[in-house]
Amino acid sequence: MSNSSSPVPDVSETVAGPSHGRAGSERANPGLLTRIAVSIGALALGLALVFGILIYAVIGLRHRSLEARRSQQVIATANGLQTLVIDFETGLRGFVITGKRRYLQPWVTAQHRYPPQMAELIKLTADDPSQQASARTIKQQIDAYLHNYSIPLVHFMERNPQSARAVSISRTGSSSVEHIRGSFTTFLNKEQARGAARDVRAKNTAHAAVLIGATSLAAALMFLLAAAVYLERVVARPVRRVAGGARRVATGDLSERVPTGGPGEIGVLEQSFNAMTDSLQRNRDELEEHNRRLVESERLKTELVSNVSHELRTPLASVLGFSELMLKRDVDPIDRRRYLELIRSESARLATLLNDLLDLQRHELGVLQLNRAEFDLNELLAAQVTLFSAQSEEHELEFRPAPEALLVEGDRDRLAQVIGNLLSNAIKYSPEGGVVEVAAVETRGEAWVWVRDPGLGIAEDQQAQIFTKFFRADIARERGIPGTGLGLVLALQIVEAHGGTIGFDSEEGSGSTFWLRIPVVTAPQSAAAAGDEAKARHGV
Amino acid sequence: MAGSPATVLICDDEPALRELIRVSIRGDYAFAEAEDGVECMKLVREIHPDVLILDMLMPRRGGLEVLTELRGDVELAAMPVIVLTAQPETREDALREGATLVMDKPFSPDEISEAVEGVLAESG
Repeated sequence: MSNSSSPVPDVSETVAGPSHGRAGSERANPGLLTRIAVSIGALALGLALVFGILIYAVIGLRHRSLEARRSQQVIATANGLQTLVIDFETGLRGFVITGKRRYLQPWVTAQHRYPPQMAELIKLTADDPSQQASARTIKQQIDAYLHNYSIPLVHFMERNPQSARAVSISRTGSSSVEHIRGSFTTFLNKEQARGAARDVRAKNTAHAAVLIGATSLAAALMFLLAAAVYLERVVARPVRRVAGGARRVATGDLSERVPTGGPGEIGVLEQSFNAMTDSLQRNRDELEEHNRRLVESERLKTELVSNVSHELRTPLASVLGFSELMLKRDVDPIDRRRYLELIRSESARLATLLNDLLDLQRHELGVLQLNRAEFDLNELLAAQVTLFSAQSEEHELEFRPAPEALLVEGDRDRLAQVIGNLLSNAIKYSPEGGVVEVAAVETRGEAWVWVRDPGLGIAEDQQAQIFTKFFRADIARERGIPGTGLGLVLALQIVEAHGGTIGFDSEEGSGSTFWLRIPVVTAPQSAAAAGDEAKARHGV
Repeated sequence: MAGSPATVLICDDEPALRELIRVSIRGDYAFAEAEDGVECMKLVREIHPDVLILDMLMPRRGGLEVLTELRGDVELAAMPVIVLTAQPETREDALREGATLVMDKPFSPDEISEAVEGVLAESG
């Protein structure tokens, strides 16, 4: 139970690991949401600024137009007051001259209307102290006219009309009214000039407002455009690129990659896309390679079956043929003996083939045992050369042994198998015959052995496969040179099991030289023993 | 050719098999032997055998090559050829190249003997 709980934290750690890394990269590179939020925020701020300026311009415009309208109201009110003053004077005169109260009616009406209208004028001029002062002066003048002349004269008229008329004729009232009207003219002229100036200002402000409005609109459009361009560049374009890439990947083009470096999630998307295509491509390459190997292995297997079939059927044909011959026909004793010998040698050949196959199997399973013993490689070479010299009349085998005994510690039978294989190949692959050279030498603690043939050589494009199981060179098939494609594989495995190396140099058409190197037994360890042994052998 | 025995050329790189074929064929025949394709063509042109027994897999020149050259030569095209193969999958190739008869190894002595008689009777 304690074991089963331990993997859980491991899994969570491995899951947490990369996600931390991703979070780190997001911090360094602001995320998509942040960018969109920031760009929308900037857009909103820009638009707010534009609208602020616009509202300010509209308020200014309104203010200016109110100012212009106030001047008009001031002028209208002042004109109204001037009419009231005239009503005061004409009403009073009519009443004084006719003595009829009916003529006083305009004066009475004006009396009622005068105070609010004057108050209105003073209020309207509140924004201009000098005009307000003028208005107050006019009020004082009117008040003075009313209280010092007009009202007393009306009261006086009710008591003594004749005297009142005399006062009226003196034109005291007229001159006061003229004076007041002069003040009104000055006041109105000034107000008109002021109104004209305000009109001009209002017009200018209106122009400015239109200009600001147009500019703001343009700026707002620019802001929108900039935000759109930014989002297009940062979001839409990379996404489109990845989409295009994905489309191409879907059609089978796995070499597709997109540029990385996009912001936040877009960057992650781009990197993930590239990682995905990398992985897809790698998997496909692996699958293709695997498939290629399978096809090659299948081809080799088919060839092996064919080769083994040939190698088994040929000796079997002799064994079965001769035995059937002896069973079915009358064969004289001399022939019988010869056939039995052929049957035995062909059966031995079958056994060798089976042994090769079994050896290879053992090598592959790693269970091949070496019966190591110290022996002279020179002697082994000499014996093999003698054996193979008898096998071919067209070939001459030349052997140059090492000057000194080549003492190695190894499996004599296995190494004989290797040398035999090299000699057999040298003969098989030089079908025109010739001299096969065999030489040995000791260099730097190693025994070197060469087998050189003047034969067909190995095509350059097939040299890499020579030590591949069941591989047979094209030339071998073309020329019908028998073999299983196992000999050199076994040779390589046996030499390597002895701590040695095996190799070759070859040129197509100019023959091949196969060589092998095996460590020799070093002097201090066995010099005496080897010396004794060598002496003993020479002695025999 | 009446009176003189028919000639059988046995072409195989295995000496034991050449001997087996020779001793298996019953009747009055003259035998010649070749151990590879090159020697085989040389002998074919020299002695014009009545029957050629040809192995497929041989050094220097394989049986298929020999067969192709034979069938391409007007003088030799009609020669009966019994092809011996230790690789049954090459049977089709041999027939395509013009083998009169294809026999798998191993074969029995009587089979090869009857085959020789058969192709000779057929060729008249």
